[in-house]
Amino acid sequence: MSKHQYAMVMDLNKCLGCQTCTIACKKLWTDRDGTGYMYWNNVETRPGLGYPRQWDRIGGGWKDGMLQPSPLPTMEDYGYPWEYNYEQRLYEGSRKPVMPSPAPTSGVNWDEDVGSMNGDENYFFYVPRICNHCTYPACLEACPRKAIYKREEDGIVVIDQDRCQGYRYCIKACPYKKIYFNEVTGRSEKCIFCYPRLEKGMVNACAAQCPGRLRFVGLLDDPDSPVHKLVLKYRIALPLFPEKGTQPNVFYVPPFNPPKRETYGKSILEDPRLPLDYLIYLFGPDVKDVIVRLEAELSRAQNGGPSELLQLLIGRDAQTRYHVRPQLVQIQG
Amino acid sequence: MRTFRFFILALALPSLGASVVAQTPATPAPGQSLRAAASGATSDSLLNGGPAAWVQIPAKRVSLNRTPPLYETDEPAAQEISTAEVRIARTAGKLVVQLSWRDVTQDTATLKQVPNTPPETRFRKVQTEADDRFFDAAAVMFPAKSSSDALGPSLQMGDADHPVEIYYWNAARVAMLMQAQGRGTTRRTGQSFPAAAAYQNGQWTVTFELPELSAGTPMAFAVWNGSQEDRDGRKYFSVWQVLE
Repeated sequence: MSKHQYAMVMDLNKCLGCQTCTIACKKLWTDRDGTGYMYWNNVETRPGLGYPRQWDRIGGGWKDGMLQPSPLPTMEDYGYPWEYNYEQRLYEGSRKPVMPSPAPTSGVNWDEDVGSMNGDENYFFYVPRICNHCTYPACLEACPRKAIYKREEDGIVVIDQDRCQGYRYCIKACPYKKIYFNEVTGRSEKCIFCYPRLEKGMVNACAAQCPGRLRFVGLLDDPDSPVHKLVLKYRIALPLFPEKGTQPNVFYVPPFNPPKRETYGKSILEDPRLPLDYLIYLFGPDVKDVIVRLEAELSRAQNGGPSELLQLLIGRDAQTRYHVRPQLVQIQG
Repeated sequence: MRTFRFFILALALPSLGASVVAQTPATPAPGQSLRAAASGATSDSLLNGGPAAWVQIPAKRVSLNRTPPLYETDEPAAQEISTAEVRIARTAGKLVVQLSWRDVTQDTATLKQVPNTPPETRFRKVQTEADDRFFDAAAVMFPAKSSSDALGPSLQMGDADHPVEIYYWNAARVAMLMQAQGRGTTRRTGQSFPAAAAYQNGQWTVTFELPELSAGTPMAFAVWNGSQEDRDGRKYFSVWQVLE
């Protein structure tokens, strides 16, 4: 068990699906050979296929203390990275428009904003996803090389690129399919929770760049941290698919109050625009209690009462949203 | 003749954690020794000269075993490959080993070469073509140091007192020399070695150039079938064979 645990909370009510986090991560970490198809951070539209598509249905994780089987997603499931023929258009005199190659047939967030119908109303919301840096990582258990370890000082799960042999048992074991095989290096890689930034006192790149200010970062075991307050004190943030048994350390404030036409002000429990069953599918049965708590808090604030929780969720400044503790690692020295 | 030990892997065992196994000491049974034929040919012509260079070298048929399911999520795998033929030629300062086996699927690919320039200086990067393919491979393992122990190394990648060298060939990547001292400790040395491979009529023929090995050295062979998702300990293996 780690001495401390970094965690992230994402407020899905604030995510605008702009993918700035995705690009921040991509430019920083996966702009290398072999990494074109990888998005350590992706934002997917829900309901939807997800990335890699159908990741939530293909397996992995724990059940009754046993790892669960899963196939490997295919490149078609992730989407091949495509390139544009700028050279021909700009420098070689081609009159044809710039076209992607290979012809795209799938990709990250291929079904962006498609959503689903609830009666005669469309609905969808965005779910940004990174590695969950689980308390009981299935990937770590599955690796015969012992190449994956959970950092004792802060609970971040990383893959030792010297020990990894690219066997891909970890990819099968991860129920969130957040590990990617790099065929050029012959090794697997994943989100590192920006630990080199945290060690310098800077927050994760995906959080720093988020225009929606929906990400909160800190130690789950630090009572002053926003993640501790949201997850443990106010209990309004939940992990994705808790039944997978890995105990994620990335949590979500569920979307709880999108108005339906002509019934503004009614709650999701009274007149849901988002079917509650779908939220239960994603976040487990506790999501109902979370929505009740959020609505009670909102009602109190609308009646003029104070609400530390809503002030925290607004997250006006970086000091409110992030409690990064670089000294953790320096002490380890 | 030196004695050695080998492990019989009980195929029905659910996991290797609970396995291991009977030690069989004493001299090898008939059929567990390998003859190295002296050859006047150069190792280069043995590697690249095709079948003609090998006509004088006798073949030994070696049984291959399938490792049992190693992990709780592993499906049991069919025994698609049951034997391999081994030919060994002793030539100037080298031991050249040729391994051939039938494999109906040729699991290989031509991976794109990565330019020497740093990726950030290139507009285009080399991309991962597939994330879910595994390539055919083969290896020869022998003790890294001669030992006067009554027992030779464990068949499971040696052990702490008996490190092993593994000459590993892969159908899509460069041949690499690996070292190990027990299961899960295999590491790449960063060194390569001369190897040649051909796939014809449903059969792989792979030739390894090894250093000179003295008579009495135990050798073991392994074959990985990419279409069965073989990698790691998920493979076919022979028991130790003793070089005459």
